[in-house]
Amino acid sequence: MSYKTTPVNQFPKLVSQWIKKYDVTAPAEAKNGLEYKTIGDPAEMMLNNRVNTTYAPKAFFLPQSEKLFTVEHGRFQAPELKTKPRLLLGVRPCDTRAFWLLDTVFLAKGEEDAYWQRRRADSLVISFGCDTPCASCFCTSVGGEPFGREGSDIQMTQLEDVYVFEAFTEKGSALINKLPEADAATVKKVKALQKTSAAEMPKAFDNTNLRDHLYALFEDDFWKEVAETCLGCGVCTYLCPTCYCFDIVDEVQRGERVRNWDTCMFRVYSQEASGHNPRPNKAARTRQRVMHKYAYWIDSINEFGCTGCGRCVVNCPVNIDIREIVSAAQARSAKMEAAK
Amino acid sequence: MANIDALRQEVSRVLSEKIVDVVLGFEAGSLPTRNQPVFIHKAKESKRLVDNGFGSNNLAALLAQRPKDEKIGVICRGCESRAIRALTVEQQLNRENLYLIGVPCRGIIDWRALERAVDGEILAVAEDGEDLLVTLKDDEKKLARAEVLHSACRNCRQPDPVGTDVLIGELPAREGLAQRSPDVAAFLGKDADARYAIFSEEAERCIRCYACREACPMCYCTECFVDHITPRWSESMVSKGGTQAWHIIRAFHQTGRCVSCGACERACPMEIKMEYITDRLNEDMQDMYGFEVGANDSDQPPFAAFSLDDRNRFKE
Ligand code: SF4
Ligand code: SF4
Ligand code: SF4
Ligand code: SF4
Ligand code: SF4
Repeated sequence: MSYKTTPVNQFPKLVSQWIKKYDVTAPAEAKNGLEYKTIGDPAEMMLNNRVNTTYAPKAFFLPQSEKLFTVEHGRFQAPELKTKPRLLLGVRPCDTRAFWLLDTVFLAKGEEDAYWQRRRADSLVISFGCDTPCASCFCTSVGGEPFGREGSDIQMTQLEDVYVFEAFTEKGSALINKLPEADAATVKKVKALQKTSAAEMPKAFDNTNLRDHLYALFEDDFWKEVAETCLGCGVCTYLCPTCYCFDIVDEVQRGERVRNWDTCMFRVYSQEASGHNPRPNKAARTRQRVMHKYAYWIDSINEFGCTGCGRCVVNCPVNIDIREIVSAAQARSAKMEAAK
Repeated sequence: MANIDALRQEVSRVLSEKIVDVVLGFEAGSLPTRNQPVFIHKAKESKRLVDNGFGSNNLAALLAQRPKDEKIGVICRGCESRAIRALTVEQQLNRENLYLIGVPCRGIIDWRALERAVDGEILAVAEDGEDLLVTLKDDEKKLARAEVLHSACRNCRQPDPVGTDVLIGELPAREGLAQRSPDVAAFLGKDADARYAIFSEEAERCIRCYACREACPMCYCTECFVDHITPRWSESMVSKGGTQAWHIIRAFHQTGRCVSCGACERACPMEIKMEYITDRLNEDMQDMYGFEVGANDSDQPPFAAFSLDDRNRFKE
């Protein structure tokens, strides 16, 4: 597809036009750093940031609490549907990759989730290619790239004082087709930048046969060691752009059936009504988190269920770094194999 | 800050002399502004220990899950030692199984505040007296430690460890430690609407990840009220009411029990302020009952104490 361009200082004008038609949602300043906000004024958006938002944008398609329906006087009521489409702007490629991964969960043929489907269909995603990844980023170790395309309709790249846009979908081209075409020299620069950014990123771990190595460690004390200081909180999974576990509850007083995020790191997640808990300790729960991302996702779609955004790395209150767990698992399993 | 060699030596001694089975402290984390709690099982591993301003957690929070008969050494700063005392008073820990290694404390650095203050990828941080020397990609910055200290530490009334078995290093002279929290005073100086607005703005960001609870030494309930489902005691959805209730009830459960370590706030990914409420409740306990958490080995927190011959019976 073709490349379009606009000067950086003209971009706010364009965004103002978009705001009339869309809920334009972009990273903006928040009390806790950066968070996605639906902006009323282009001056609020903060693009090309050094760090990512704390809260992942998956919440726009899978809200933390989703009212599935209400019951009033014995009658079921479908939730109100939003009418204004959403334009997610300035999303990092690791986060758009997560949309693409989660589409395989929520849009599986014949099992489409109506809520996810509707929100995805009603939205446009413009990703922002990362030319300066952070120390906690590791997309290239898990199948992604700083300029990865998956899950976005358009990708924008900054070249000094111009933004260059490339559309990957029809929806995307329709939005930008009136912008001037980028010249050959500009396109060349974009392509070069994409290449160097990916190449310059150090690998966090070797992912060869990772799935098999993890399975080999399933019964090992390894998990007890790595989980020894884990608090069992919801930080790593709630901030994770690909975690999608939920629990459905009835808020009886309000007559609502609600779907809430849930996490395998909580003790109560696997607690059964009898009191039995098949994942009785933090070791078992940590193993579930890591294996789901690096083994079970591979089993189902042959992709890692981690996009390397680094949110869990940055925010774990006890600095349990999933990259270190993976490296240690590789080393331990190799050692076990050598001893055989 | 303790002399790190002396600290490692002591840890290695208590492990090799089998005074303890394991020692809990901090090691350097995977990022330059983080430490990771670590259980040292063997004397030779004691070289992993560090002692700097990046130990964000209250290590006492990690004791509840240890085997009951384990002899455990804990490297403690003021708030950790007070939490351990409070937990002993509440019969959650057996003091005889603990070996407390006190270290002088200079306060915990709020890594988020530090990263914001320098605005660049931090490659290394060195502590140099009252200053922090921060190495960035193509720059170096010097910052006063006090500028990026976590508010709990800025307001700390008792930074020196209490009731320890050994102290490594020398306690610095302490002057002018505030006896009341300036944050509480500022909060109380506002009218009710403004106070509610502050509380709402904080609670609103909550994602119910419960990191605050899990990081808190005093939140040790086997089943927290929010996890109780038969019957359900609180809304699990992230609604304004349910989330505010979570914040108020959690704080209320800390009345006269919170040791003001700020571990909850530092664990919170949404950077929600919580201590202005718990500190305020603690000041009430002081004013009404003259009670101070962790002050000694015997006094029960007023709201957790009961007596069989209580004069005020529920029912005559
Ligand atoms: S890692 Fe845990 S919380 Fe995340 S999707 Fe998998 S099972 Fe669910
Ligand atoms: S964020 Fe850290 S402490 Fe919390 S559950 Fe995840 S690994 Fe454990
Ligand atoms: S909030 Fe209350 S019920 Fe929950 S763990 Fe803390 S003290 Fe226990
Ligand atoms: S409530 Fe917060 S400040 Fe108080 S003891 Fe718990 S973690 Fe520390
Ligand atoms: S750590 Fe913060 S976001 Fe998580 S439950 Fe506590 S207050 Fe809410």
